[in-house]
Amino acid sequence: MGDTLQALLHGFEVALLPMNLMWGAIGVTLGTAVGVLPGVGPALTVAMLLPLTVKLSPVGALIMFAGIYYGAMFGGSTTTILLNTPGESASIATALEGNKMAKRGRAGPALATSAIGSFVAGTIATLLVTLLAPMVVEIALKFGPAEYFALMVFAFTTVSAVLGASTVRGLTSLFLGLLLGLVGIDGQTGQPRFAFGVPELLDGVDVVVLAVGLFAVGEALYVGAYASRLPEVMEKITGSLWMSKSDWKRSWPAWLRATAIGFPFGSIPAGGAEIPTFLSYAVEKKLTKFPEEFGHGAIEGVAGPEAANNASVTGALVPLLTLGIPTSATAAILLAAFQNYGIQPGPMLFQMQGDLVWGLIASLYVGNVMLLILNLPMIGIWVKVLTIPQPLLYGGILVFATLGAYSLHESVVDLATLYVFGLLGFAMRRWDIPVAPAVIGLILGPLAETQFRRALAISQGDPSVFYQHPISATLFAFTALLIVVPWVVRRVQRARAA
Amino acid sequence: MSTDAALRRSLAETALSIGVLALGVATAVGTSMLPAEGGYARIGPNFMPGVTGAGLILLGIWLLYEVLSGGWRNMPPQDAEARGEHAFHPGAFAWVSIGLFAHMALIQTGGFVLAGSALFACVARGFGSPRFARDFAIGFAITVAVFAFFVLVLTVNLPAGWLAPLFRLIGIE
Repeated sequence: MGDTLQALLHGFEVALLPMNLMWGAIGVTLGTAVGVLPGVGPALTVAMLLPLTVKLSPVGALIMFAGIYYGAMFGGSTTTILLNTPGESASIATALEGNKMAKRGRAGPALATSAIGSFVAGTIATLLVTLLAPMVVEIALKFGPAEYFALMVFAFTTVSAVLGASTVRGLTSLFLGLLLGLVGIDGQTGQPRFAFGVPELLDGVDVVVLAVGLFAVGEALYVGAYASRLPEVMEKITGSLWMSKSDWKRSWPAWLRATAIGFPFGSIPAGGAEIPTFLSYAVEKKLTKFPEEFGHGAIEGVAGPEAANNASVTGALVPLLTLGIPTSATAAILLAAFQNYGIQPGPMLFQMQGDLVWGLIASLYVGNVMLLILNLPMIGIWVKVLTIPQPLLYGGILVFATLGAYSLHESVVDLATLYVFGLLGFAMRRWDIPVAPAVIGLILGPLAETQFRRALAISQGDPSVFYQHPISATLFAFTALLIVVPWVVRRVQRARAA
Repeated sequence: MSTDAALRRSLAETALSIGVLALGVATAVGTSMLPAEGGYARIGPNFMPGVTGAGLILLGIWLLYEVLSGGWRNMPPQDAEARGEHAFHPGAFAWVSIGLFAHMALIQTGGFVLAGSALFACVARGFGSPRFARDFAIGFAITVAVFAFFVLVLTVNLPAGWLAPLFRLIGIE
């Protein structure tokens, strides 16, 4: 405990250095902006900025990337409430009540409860990260390759098979990512795989090209083809921004409950901020004293989901930092940013790179305060940002997207690959195949393979290591339950209905 | 849903399912050309590719099975209006693509600024902006600012291309 406090205080010394404060401010501002702008998300933004890592110090760059990561959750609510087009999937639940509130002239309180709720949830979640991370590190230090492999299989399963509309489409996306992750030189034997003698492919498929292709080019092709000629209705902020006494009274419990729902969802490698937002919405709808308002702009229905998504994305930093397991596309790209510096997140990160990891955690406290200021008193600026016409917005997105891909190796090959991944992203979006599992598969696949082969090398090729170690056996059992239980439940329900 | 739309949907789903299956088969073929020896672990660099190929083949079969038994499950509505969108706009798709190809063709000759401006204008056109020249000018202003930022602040060189003399004149190099 005392050690943690000391480490955190030291982290604040790092986070409060003027340079790092500046990177943090840039990060949360960019994060808010991309959260606000439809069509740009945190995964895309961090991916576009990854090539810059060669020019920046690891601490500054990671503080900035983390700011983009959780800042986007603040900004997303603005678009959702005023435009009814959720900027991020984690904001869909907010749209249910938020836009209704705006239509009734209560945009101000809706934005306020989002921003303050995000701040409250983000800060409590950061506190929990601070307390929990060192404990998880203690446990993780006992993990061997078999346990890591089991954990990664668990994460693969939750992000692809359990969440989302279809297990088979989620898995297809994951395996596509795993396949792309195999391209290049095998790290353990030096054997080139699926490179077809093309020198550009020996280095593997860059996550920047994949993520930017799927998220920017694919998105532009899709929105252009299907949603570029729709009328947009933006609600105005009329009246006071401030919440009334009853708004406060109704928001507080929702924020706290949502934090309690969101944080665990983020911190077990279960991925995705969507589920906790919908759970929180359902809980608020059940507990409210004003059920008649639900569906017409109930403030709890905004306060809950907005707090839940912030608690969840902050919670996701626990498995990312302590175990090296990303549970969302953005977290996977953050992991790639660490790798660009030759740093592998995991328990050793806390021992070898204390400055970096505690500076990063301290920057979360600072960033949340900055975000509260950015998203409440300065809300007017973001409303202006929303008025950028769609043609110019997407023109700009693609200029930066191609810049990100080109600046990797100054190669037209990367631009052509970018377009191919864009077509893939278009098809996946159109036929409802989720893209996040592919990005996670690309980043986590090679790590999982390494752990798998290491575990077998230690056991001299005996596969029983995976079920004789209690931790890895438990994780595999959990994974099996995750797949089997929903399937059985559905069967039973269907049998009952029949 | 009209029968025409239903047919188009199942054609697309069939094509995509077969694509996944074919990718799995190609992966399996590629795997068979990889060495198997693995030292202590007894599995070599061909193990994961084999698993991935097998997985893709199974997923392809599963997807095909869904097509044949009523179509992919839990799909968003085939009708664009029911999704809150409009019908496929081929012009938009084409202009975004043209922009990206123009960018590829121009970046190493015309340079970053001209390639980016052309891309910007084409994409804006695809999204329905009627003012190509104005959009090109906006793209030009944005890309010149980015170019200056990269060259002067980050000291990363982007291709100046045909505009190199101009940049030299105003001191960005």
